[in-house]
Amino acid sequence: MGPNMVSSRLAQDLREIVGKENVIGGGVGLQLYAYDAYLEERRPDAVVFVHSTDEVSRVVRACSQRGVPFVARGGGTNLSGGTIPARGGVVIEMIRMNKLLEVDRANLRARVEPGMFNLELGNALAPLGYQYLPDPASQKAATLGGNVAENSGGPHCFKYGTTTNHVVGLTVVLPDGEVVRLGGKAPDASGYDLTGTFVGSEGTLGICTEVVVRIVRLPESVRTLLAVYDRIEDGSETVSAIVAAGMVPATLEMMDQLVIRAVEQSVKCGFPLDCATVLLIEVDGLRDDLEEQAQAIAELCRKHGAREVRVAKDEAERAALWAGRRGAFGAVARITPSYLVCDGTVPRTALPAVLRKVGEVSQKYDLMIPNVFHAGDGNLHPLILFDWRNAEQKARVMKAGMEILEWCVQLGGTISGEHGVGIEKMDAMRLVFSEGDLRAQLKVKRAFDPKDLSNPGKIFPAATRVTCAA
Amino acid sequence: MLEGAAAGPFSVDDMVPRLAVRPGSQEEVEAVVLACGKAGAAMVPFGGGTAMGLGNPPRRLDVVVCLDRLGRIVDFSEANLNVSVEAGVRLADLKAVLAEKREFLPLDPRGPDRATVGGLLATNASGPSRLSYGTARDFVLGLRVVLASGERIRCGGKVVKNVSGYDMNKLFTGSMGTLGIITEATFKLLPVPAMRVAVIGVFRELVGVGAAVATVLESQLLPEALEALDTHAMGAIASALGLAQASGYGLAAMVAGNRETVERQVRDCGSLFSQCGATIVPPLSDLQSAVAWQTAGDASARLSGTSGDRVSVKIAVPIARTLDLFESAELLGRSSGGGVVTAHAGSGIVRATYLLDRGVMRRFRNGLESLRERAEGVEGCLTVEEAPVVLKHSLDAWGKPPEALAVMRRLKNEFDPGGLFNPGRFLAGM
Repeated sequence: MGPNMVSSRLAQDLREIVGKENVIGGGVGLQLYAYDAYLEERRPDAVVFVHSTDEVSRVVRACSQRGVPFVARGGGTNLSGGTIPARGGVVIEMIRMNKLLEVDRANLRARVEPGMFNLELGNALAPLGYQYLPDPASQKAATLGGNVAENSGGPHCFKYGTTTNHVVGLTVVLPDGEVVRLGGKAPDASGYDLTGTFVGSEGTLGICTEVVVRIVRLPESVRTLLAVYDRIEDGSETVSAIVAAGMVPATLEMMDQLVIRAVEQSVKCGFPLDCATVLLIEVDGLRDDLEEQAQAIAELCRKHGAREVRVAKDEAERAALWAGRRGAFGAVARITPSYLVCDGTVPRTALPAVLRKVGEVSQKYDLMIPNVFHAGDGNLHPLILFDWRNAEQKARVMKAGMEILEWCVQLGGTISGEHGVGIEKMDAMRLVFSEGDLRAQLKVKRAFDPKDLSNPGKIFPAATRVTCAA
Repeated sequence: MLEGAAAGPFSVDDMVPRLAVRPGSQEEVEAVVLACGKAGAAMVPFGGGTAMGLGNPPRRLDVVVCLDRLGRIVDFSEANLNVSVEAGVRLADLKAVLAEKREFLPLDPRGPDRATVGGLLATNASGPSRLSYGTARDFVLGLRVVLASGERIRCGGKVVKNVSGYDMNKLFTGSMGTLGIITEATFKLLPVPAMRVAVIGVFRELVGVGAAVATVLESQLLPEALEALDTHAMGAIASALGLAQASGYGLAAMVAGNRETVERQVRDCGSLFSQCGATIVPPLSDLQSAVAWQTAGDASARLSGTSGDRVSVKIAVPIARTLDLFESAELLGRSSGGGVVTAHAGSGIVRATYLLDRGVMRRFRNGLESLRERAEGVEGCLTVEEAPVVLKHSLDAWGKPPEALAVMRRLKNEFDPGGLFNPGRFLAGM
């Protein structure tokens, strides 16, 4: 643990800004904010609960004036260490800024506070007949602000894109405390696309305090299928065949046997325990040809070796299939005390090859690696199981994770599809970017945060320095 | 390399560059930029030259860097639905290559065929199908960009899910070459729909068009595009299709998909338009639909008069305000030398092209300023995409700068400290 970055003067300022009941300055409370869903921890020197843009701005200004680092936090579900206060300082907890500010159907927009859970927004829009499309599996516990920071994806990306395709405006507190609005309800704002630059910047360019999102009508109709395979290759070949047939399903998710077994123990959705993989497919849109699309897909599944294809008859069956998929990470978490989630992405055609590699890595390092992945867009999530109390095993896990990422890059992909670089993949950035590429990204960092106080120590490999001009 | 009079075709807002160079490869672009940097020469990137009227007049124009020789299709992976192309590839040529494999890139800006991929990205050009598919930023997976140092960097990659580092694709798209010169782009693609049909309704009054647009947007229908047309544009389509009676405002929806969904949408759209007072144009075949679409896109080109007197603007406002601004834009046309107004009605974009009558230039300029104020009053903006230089000197092309201008200036300063990329044309002269 480093020196306490929060002087008593700063602590007093913070108490004045948000009220002393909203500041944790010591004790066990700080430990709760030392970690997220990644595998490291670092105690902050203070935690501040904020309730408005104005409070965020004043807190950030107070930190900036004293050169104290800060990091915004929502649900703390971040998988790459994005919310860990790597250099100490202040955690700015946004979770209480959770209001739905406005639903503007005529303009197909909604305005939300960043501390709102993704699923809450969905639940608020559904009775009105609308939806916000990005719905990561963590949506019950992950906030919209976090979604913005990571450019979160989820199971509907193949058809509908990721968070950045649905965020049209932001209110941002810049790292010196200044408040700016980027974009808004009107499209094509002049100047540079700072909204697009900010989404996915992992809290390193400032803190968003309001999000303007695009909303769309709920689909008229949905069909959900589950195809069961004895060979993983058959599953991935089906995915390629569906794409080759010119179809764009809303969802194409795969889970392997290890995940299925864990899910059945935890959620019990009726997945067969003896198959190699299942493929969860969903098509949505106008009802006129949806049944035909579903049948065509079922045909392709069978043609490529599916031993069984189930089509959900009603909303209850559909919900059961999804519960299995969404509960996958939670179910796997019951097997061993810890896991490392890999987040590599490969071109779809490279899926069979990368799955073989994951199998080889599993054997080489003697580790169990259940696999759940967004087969439509090539984003895999091998979950490397281990016990955190076993340091030697953890070391093997980190090596295995890096090797999987190396394979992803070699096969034409990248190191992070949706969970962000954070701390976890900082060194892996050099697998995809040259020093020149990294220097260019650091220009962006410097333009927003010349003092490197906004979530410092993330994304860029440790040896690069923000404050040197390149 | 072209000098003197030969560089004439590369002029920008009546300024002729001292030199025009046409590098033959991405490496040559690096060398050109490096050399210009050392000489302190201001560079203006140039693709097909179809959007050189965008923005304010250049503050300096030493060298035009024309990328039309960067014409390679680097890699087309139909199985992975992506394509990598050099910046000088013409969009029309790219579309033809993709169509052979029944795939497409949903970028459909209007304008001459010689528009290049690099230029379209740099200007964030878009067209009617943005309603359904989004704009260039939603399709770019990766870029290669030459920076002021002459160094070429990579942004993004080739995969759809990519959050490795900052989303630099978004930074460069729409930046008009002021942060770097795009030399290559990777796009995500879509399969071509089985069918496409245009449904066109003719309305006596704009208020009917507005009601129809609002109803379509609230409904379950999912048109690829929804274009509002003034009487000139609708008239042009009517003559192209040989429809004598159709005169009034037009609302054209493009519906796409399998036969069943297209037939249903044609029925529903048609009846919805009728309920709002439209006369429906008889159902159009695939070919007729394509002709109608093409004509709508070219309507402003049909304005008679020399191109030297044309003023084209793009207005961007929240969706529900589109037709208010459409109406205001129309009024301005009536009080000047004539105009054509169309709108991407479900996207908040109005496009107006006017013939400038120089005798009433001040009045027209004031009218444009008022139109801009209306747009800015609803948090939108008005951008000048083409205008005679004399008008540009009295009216800024971009309008009120956004709140984060200071950050934008710092970005410009980081990437182009010498101010050599396209100086003066972009927002706030960056």
